[in-house]
Amino acid sequence: MENPIEWWRRFAALFRRREVEGGLEEEIAFHIEQQIEKNLRQGMAPEAARRDALLRFGGVERTREATRDEYRPVLLDGVARDIRYGVRALRRAPGFALTSVLTLGLGIGAAVCVFSIVNGVLLKPLPYPDADRIVRVLQVSEDGGVTENVSEPNFRDWQAETRSFSAMAEIAQGLVSVYGSVEPNRATMTLVSREFFNVMQVRPIVGRTFAPDELHEGAVPTAIVSDAYARRLFGGARSALGQTLNSGSTAFTIIGVMPPGFDYPSRTEIWMPRELEPEQTSRTAHNFRAVARLAAGVTLEQAQREISTVSRALKAKYGEDTWMSDATVERVQDRMTRNVRPTLYLLIAAAALLFIITCANVSNLLLARAATRQRELAVRLAIGAGRMHIVRQLLCESLVLCVAGGFVGVLIAYGSVHGLIAIDPGNLPRVNEIVVDWAVLAFAFAVSVLSAFLLGAVTTLRIGRRDLRSSFTESQRTMAGGRQSQRVRDGLVVAQIALTLVLLTGAGLLTRSFLQLLAVDTGFNTDDALVLDIALAPPANDGERSRNTYFRERLLEELQSLPGVTAVGLINDFPLGGRWYANGLFIEMTHPDEIRSPEDFDRLGNVPERVGSAGYRSASAGYFRAMGIPLIRGRLFEPGDGPDAAHVALISESLARTKWPNQDPIGRFIQFGNMDGDVRGLRVIGIVGDVREISPEAIPSPIIYTHYRQRRNAPTQFSVVVRGPRPGNIAPAAQRVVRDIDPTVPVAIRTVKQAMEQSMAGRRFSLVLLGVFATAALLLATLGIYGVISYLVTQRTREIGIRMALGANRADVLRMIIGKGAMLAGIGGGIGLVAALAFTRVLQGMLFGVRATDPVAFAGVLVLVSAAVLLASYVPARRASRVAPSMTLRD
Amino acid sequence: MKKSKGDLLQGTLDMLVLKALALEPMHGWGITERIEQWSENVLKPGQGTLYPALYRLERQKLIRSEWRITSNNRRARYYALTPAGRRHLAAELDNWKRMSRAINLVLEAKTV
Repeated sequence: MENPIEWWRRFAALFRRREVEGGLEEEIAFHIEQQIEKNLRQGMAPEAARRDALLRFGGVERTREATRDEYRPVLLDGVARDIRYGVRALRRAPGFALTSVLTLGLGIGAAVCVFSIVNGVLLKPLPYPDADRIVRVLQVSEDGGVTENVSEPNFRDWQAETRSFSAMAEIAQGLVSVYGSVEPNRATMTLVSREFFNVMQVRPIVGRTFAPDELHEGAVPTAIVSDAYARRLFGGARSALGQTLNSGSTAFTIIGVMPPGFDYPSRTEIWMPRELEPEQTSRTAHNFRAVARLAAGVTLEQAQREISTVSRALKAKYGEDTWMSDATVERVQDRMTRNVRPTLYLLIAAAALLFIITCANVSNLLLARAATRQRELAVRLAIGAGRMHIVRQLLCESLVLCVAGGFVGVLIAYGSVHGLIAIDPGNLPRVNEIVVDWAVLAFAFAVSVLSAFLLGAVTTLRIGRRDLRSSFTESQRTMAGGRQSQRVRDGLVVAQIALTLVLLTGAGLLTRSFLQLLAVDTGFNTDDALVLDIALAPPANDGERSRNTYFRERLLEELQSLPGVTAVGLINDFPLGGRWYANGLFIEMTHPDEIRSPEDFDRLGNVPERVGSAGYRSASAGYFRAMGIPLIRGRLFEPGDGPDAAHVALISESLARTKWPNQDPIGRFIQFGNMDGDVRGLRVIGIVGDVREISPEAIPSPIIYTHYRQRRNAPTQFSVVVRGPRPGNIAPAAQRVVRDIDPTVPVAIRTVKQAMEQSMAGRRFSLVLLGVFATAALLLATLGIYGVISYLVTQRTREIGIRMALGANRADVLRMIIGKGAMLAGIGGGIGLVAALAFTRVLQGMLFGVRATDPVAFAGVLVLVSAAVLLASYVPARRASRVAPSMTLRD
Repeated sequence: MKKSKGDLLQGTLDMLVLKALALEPMHGWGITERIEQWSENVLKPGQGTLYPALYRLERQKLIRSEWRITSNNRRARYYALTPAGRRHLAAELDNWKRMSRAINLVLEAKTV
């Protein structure tokens, strides 16, 4: 047509039909009345006047139709009519419609739900200007491993020698304790270098970024805070501005508040200038991360090439002084989502499978319905409806179903997205960006239309191919629906069973992994213990150092004296915390004073049998009792191990086994001063049990425990474990203890069990989702089998009646019907097993303690599916076996 | 049915409707009355074709309609010419005159 506006008007008119017709109605009525009045004026009798007027008008209905035709393009009207017809037809079959819509809603809902997660986490660009140009610059170590952290001199050389970046900044994140005019709290603070805000290109909503005179050592400390933090502490961004807070001995003034939602990197609440602290000169001290913005016109590949060239030149220049052999760039968003991508891909695959299953299921329902409507369709063909028209009408019917299903799906997704976030997706980044927004709705619509075409395709293939006219000649006695149609339906059921098997196997394997994980001996006792996370200010002088010491001692003592507490212990890095677990090289010495200088350390460091690698921990004796870590040999720390006594260390079993096989490590001397800056040698006094620190999945790493009271740099960020029955009841008292000693020290309290659960939250998240999908799939497949078998029974009632009349007994009938179900299940199961073997291999990386071909999971799934199939075919089979021959023969 | 009288040449109804509206806005009934009257009861547009024509002309933006109250206090849809309709009518009239003259010339030609 001439112009789009005209088109739109007509399209809109479709839906304004009532209004348009209302107008026409009134207009025609007016016309006829006018004619009647005229007739009356000319002296006709009222009745005659009326008849004449109607006669003259020449067919009200015809006029109406003709006028409508003028008003609407023909094709669109046809579709609208078909849709209306479809709605009416479905309204006549409410059971069918409801089942289909709910089933489709389930499939579409799962897809939409997963899409909203994927959209929020992977697809949506980060909320920064040109976020796809912000990259992380990562160091490649000599062994080829990519590490987050870089050393400051290397960073500075990158900055000076590259042209690919318009801005590059270093960042370093940590937890700090904040106090002052506010409730003491722990905040995530990130030190950022000068260019940070140019990299992000995000400015404070109130206040400003750091001024040049605030960016040097000794400058007055200033800070920028996140909107959420400003709200939490001061009720709003404006009132936060100009406030002064304390962290340790530093007082800083808030000069800016970032816009809501800005918390880069990972949930930062306070940004402070990195330049307040002295420059670092070591090329092997990896204390910063690097973030940069690509310069205009530079591609990721170009930047990659340049940074690589520069870094290799640095390696050539500095040799052993740097551990960096190369460098790589990665988009911030890709880096952020790297760890969760496999999980999300898994969810996408699972949702897709469930979606296909629902479509197969509803297709089957539609086919059953089409079979019962053959006559109706044949009649319509006979009276002149085109084949295309009938196909179009069937498509419209499935479209109506699918749009309704999509609507239900969106409701399901809307409800479940909140539920999902509530079950704790673990380390899933960008959780707060998971919402049902326009993109999600558009996706839901697209999926609905897709399902309509899938459903339509199946039904149309059947209807289209079959010569409907033959339906007339088919008597009721033949198997209505025909053999071919039955075969399609069988095929759909087989597909459902196969796909369900795949999903169930995936869920089964993940469940097995989870159970294995729960059963893992982490090396410590997770029951009945609390863990208090505490962050003291790093001491700037001896006075502060002794104040921290006093705090630690008082804390341990008073917690120990709380009623019900059986053991209390301190550790710098608590397991399962997702924190940085410091590790490094140590050197075995022949006597405690063998190493007196860095040169000695380097010299012995080149003797392989002297060197070992271990994690560095600082702990109290009570820690092992409180955590239930067994002492295997030797002794734990004792009161006599004071700061001035010989320094002692405990080592973990795996270190003893790997470093000193068939030897006694006890009594040996170790130099580990590179970890805590204390060069006094350590004497090994005992061996303690292994601990799976990072997570239950990781193998236990070798650890050296020093005594926190002996070493000069006792930890300021540490955890205290408090063992006692019903730890939840101890928590308030423990909190009070901390407050009484120092009200400016914030404390976070959780049970060890919670810490354990938290560490497995991500795994549980994917398990729950996959489990829900698999259960839904099983349910649908069961319903699918039930549907096919009961349909079969209905169709063959007469045949069964005859068989029974001829002497078949109930068991024969049962066997015949269940046999049919078992056959379908067998074929579907076989295909499913093969598919599952291929599919679950992809899962390998997510499994723990089971192989992708785990026979237990496979067997369990087979049993489950067989049981479901038997149940689904038994019910209709029973009905069949009760058929009274006389009844069926009579009708 | 009487066949010879009152049937309109294809396409001429639109022109007649436009002509009828050239004077003043009118409702559907008024238009039939006006055409009948002017044609001395020879032309009687069937209502079954009038309303489709009105909707068609409106869609082509040659006329527009609005609901008004008639002199005897009834609600009725009044149609009026748009500027485009007026131009269209003028062109159609020219065309018609040329055509009818041509037809007359043919019909009145002296046969040998």
